[in-house]
Amino acid sequence: MSAKAPIRHVVARHDGPGDDRWKQYEWKLLPPTPLDPTMQVALDETLTLAVGRRDRQPTLRFWGWTSRAVVLGRFQSVRNEVNVNVAAEEGIVLVRRISGGGAMFIEPEGAITYSIHAPEEMVRGMTFPESYAFFDSWVIDALQELGVNAWYAPLNDITSEGGKIGGAAQARRGGAVLHHTTMAYQMNTELMSRVLRIGKEKLSDKGVKSAEKRIGPLRQQTELERDVIIQHLTGHFRDRFGLANDELRDDEMNDAHVRVTERFGAEEWLYFLP
Amino acid sequence: MHGEYKTPGGKLVIVDFEVIERHLQKVQVSGDFFLYPDEALDAITGALEGMSAELRETEIARVVSEAIPSGTEVLGTSPEAIAIAVQRAIRDAVEGPH
Repeated sequence: MSAKAPIRHVVARHDGPGDDRWKQYEWKLLPPTPLDPTMQVALDETLTLAVGRRDRQPTLRFWGWTSRAVVLGRFQSVRNEVNVNVAAEEGIVLVRRISGGGAMFIEPEGAITYSIHAPEEMVRGMTFPESYAFFDSWVIDALQELGVNAWYAPLNDITSEGGKIGGAAQARRGGAVLHHTTMAYQMNTELMSRVLRIGKEKLSDKGVKSAEKRIGPLRQQTELERDVIIQHLTGHFRDRFGLANDELRDDEMNDAHVRVTERFGAEEWLYFLP
Repeated sequence: MHGEYKTPGGKLVIVDFEVIERHLQKVQVSGDFFLYPDEALDAITGALEGMSAELRETEIARVVSEAIPSGTEVLGTSPEAIAIAVQRAIRDAVEGPH
């Protein structure tokens, strides 16, 4: 042991233990484009497969919405999770995504959703639960810069002193990982509680009696505009890992349209578990 | 019949089925858990389909566990949780929901 250990100054604001895994790629940014919810879930698959084939660089994509939606997890049943009559009356589109996890009720300006499309090798050696925490660790840091004391709660939640902020889900396809996260920006709790069926069992270990009481939307916690938060998240990612602006290619849009027609827009897919 | 079980700190599993001639029929397993690969759900549902409605919880869990292909990742739920949901469904059908 040397008596004169070098004094280390932490100059890099962000560098974390997993940062090298991010920096090995040339990340692309797809900014939020309002699309039909079925197109969004189709693009999840289109772009994940494209990254797996090396037809696309690893990508951070923000979702935009043209309508209200309930996005069901891969293994959820429609009737157990959704009041379909309320959905129809309120113009809420029902879609099923390719990842597991729980139903999200989305209003176009009410949520911030992003997908990370990355090669599976990026999380080599990690357990599945570790990879969940890994993919959102930069968001936790970015939220803290906004004054939100957020942390990751296993298995797949982003939570904070002010309540739960969001949740993540993953799917793996063709050598690539899809990791997507939805964070509450502004809650329409009245409509959410009517369209989603959230039973007592679901909340049994949460210590609360209703889903809305345990959520801490970002608008309430930051008093910032939704776009400002998205810009902050992208800025954090860009400064830390590098991120180049990109746009969806025509062939990618076409591929997603085909997937909507053949699968994601079809009753067989939505009602795979009725 | 309908039974739910949320693994503490984990996810919800829901089992819907009918009991016809003392066996589980038309079984549907759903919830906000994670499975890799997706097709493992068919193996789980298949293990319950036609199962005797008189099996004990540990026996249900063992049958489900043995049906899940090796290498499958089951996150947030478990064969034991699924067995509890099945037992709750049968109990509630007899006694009424709790």
